[in-house]
Amino acid sequence: MRAIPLKSLTPLVLLGLLTAGCGQGLLGGDDQAPKGNGPILLGMLIPQSGSEAAIGPYMSNAAQLAIDEINAKGGVLGRKLELKTADDACDAQSAVAGANKLVTEGVNVSVGGYCSGATLPTLPIFGKANIPMIIPAANSQELVDQKLKHVFLINGTGSQQAAAADKWMTKEGAKSVVLVHDNTSYSKDIALRTKALLDAPGGADAVLVETVTPKESDYSANVTNILAKKPDYVYWTGYFQEGGLIVRQLRQAGYKGHILLGDGSVSPKFIEIAGNDAAEGVYATMTQTPDTLEGAENWIASYKKKFGTDPGPYSNQAYDAVRLAAEAIGKAGGTDGTKVVAALEGIDGFPMFSGPLKFTPEHTLSNGGFQILVVKGGKFALQDSLK
Amino acid sequence: MTQLVWNGLFVGSFYALVALGYSMVYGIIKLLNFAHGDLYMLGAFAGFAILGAVGGVSASMALPVLLMVLVATMLLTGLAGVALERIAYRPLRGAPRLSLLITAVGASFALEYGMRAAAGADPRVYPVRLGGTSLEVLGARLTLQQLVLVGVAVALMVGLNTLITRTREGRAMRAIALDPRTSSLMGVDVNAVISRTFFLGSALAGAAGVMAGAYYGKIDFLMGFLIGLKAFTAAVIGGIGNIPGTMLGGLLLGLLESFGTFWLGGEWRDVFAFGVLILFLTVRPTGLLGERVTERV
Repeated sequence: MRAIPLKSLTPLVLLGLLTAGCGQGLLGGDDQAPKGNGPILLGMLIPQSGSEAAIGPYMSNAAQLAIDEINAKGGVLGRKLELKTADDACDAQSAVAGANKLVTEGVNVSVGGYCSGATLPTLPIFGKANIPMIIPAANSQELVDQKLKHVFLINGTGSQQAAAADKWMTKEGAKSVVLVHDNTSYSKDIALRTKALLDAPGGADAVLVETVTPKESDYSANVTNILAKKPDYVYWTGYFQEGGLIVRQLRQAGYKGHILLGDGSVSPKFIEIAGNDAAEGVYATMTQTPDTLEGAENWIASYKKKFGTDPGPYSNQAYDAVRLAAEAIGKAGGTDGTKVVAALEGIDGFPMFSGPLKFTPEHTLSNGGFQILVVKGGKFALQDSLK
Repeated sequence: MTQLVWNGLFVGSFYALVALGYSMVYGIIKLLNFAHGDLYMLGAFAGFAILGAVGGVSASMALPVLLMVLVATMLLTGLAGVALERIAYRPLRGAPRLSLLITAVGASFALEYGMRAAAGADPRVYPVRLGGTSLEVLGARLTLQQLVLVGVAVALMVGLNTLITRTREGRAMRAIALDPRTSSLMGVDVNAVISRTFFLGSALAGAAGVMAGAYYGKIDFLMGFLIGLKAFTAAVIGGIGNIPGTMLGGLLLGLLESFGTFWLGGEWRDVFAFGVLILFLTVRPTGLLGERVTERV
């Protein structure tokens, strides 16, 4: 009985082995040939399916825009750049599979990473293959806690964001703050770091840390818990889908105080989901976006011309990640991982959307560049640059 | 306190509506239709498409228009359920239970990612939304629209119960649940009755989908997954296969979640709800109102 299904599987297994062998053989050949003039491959892990699938195109389009611009100017070291994307589905297993795919495809530098929880398990995979990682969006402190040589963050970190939130709420004279997170690595990190800062004597106090389950529709139970503490500030550190619903349900339940959002919720979709009335006047901690940058109009226009849509969250960071990778490869004089890492460490004053770049010894931005946005007339606008 | 009860009952009525379809299908062909939550998603998207086709709706007309959309959507998702049964489940009627279960999981993925291919991964927002001002009743804050939604849910459930206990159609369903082979020998058209069961169950899930879309506003292609699991839990708590039991299970699960969040904090809500599921499966697998299964020798 048992032997039959096993036997019927054998051809499949054999086929799998054969194709795997073929793949390696082909790639082996690829690796040899392009040393001199083949394209330089940039790998990008982004969510293309699952709950965060909406973000993927914003990042890959912007990366493609940067690549086209660089290639139009003759590429890097006389070689063209080429983008390879893989789906991480904002999920650890898919991310590992995607990272392995990129490594076998022979990428030279990784310029992806949106969900911190999905990016974390890919660090050793790229590390073993000696592939430098410039992470545009994922920003949990855990990514740099291991002090890995090949990992660079070009988004502000959780502790920088928490500091900005604390600074703003103290400035606003908040008394009691409720922190709400969705139990993902990124969101929890910011909430707990903010709590630690608020708990210091004086100023605002964190009266409750509330956890919600992502991907639900009804948060009335959480809202009741929050309202029971009578806070004057609520800080939501998760993503925009739940954020929109929570803000709407808070307002419907009669909450009149202030609301602050983390950068994962800064998206036009947030306003759409919450509704204009509920979203109006909501604050957010965010790094520079194309909308709040001076002189970014041309960039937005060329993005729109190419893809027919406006750039979205993390478009500018993804664009910068590619430009930075090109700069570092150019400086290193080749795609050798160790040399590119050294070149990245040596960069000083490279112009990016977030300002001139110089990495800290931790490989994070020396200045997180977080500012406070406010929803005004159905759009996120700059409220305070926290300078 | 009354606020917690109201929150629980409101969420619970959604769970109950979705759970009914699970329970009916299980009661009749002993299939756990894992694609059922995705019919809820399909209903939400169908309602969204119909509202889009209707065009601009003024705020005063929102409720009547939504009720019409609700009926149209129920028809559409009902037919989708019938098609699902015809394509995916009927050819496997005689196959081992496990094949059916795996087909159901496959159908679920097909619906989810089919919708993603058709409508995109971005969440959509309903053009007509039931916001409304809230009023205080016995210390609980609720809106008129919530009351209407609960009213619609209760009416649908009462209607279903009458259909099953008082009509010929319902008698045929109950007969098949007891013994499909004997029923067909007695002249019941088993395939037609199973189709109609799928129609009813899917229509209820579609109704819940439209109501959720209109009330919460946000819909996306994965929205059916979690509620499918919750509805399954509700059905087991109440007694899967038993209609009044399933309704009770839905409301009870809503209340458990509401009080679980209050007592233990948000991070424990699902632990609490699914913990109760495990407790029921070990202590009373037939659920609250489920009938004792007598071992046939």
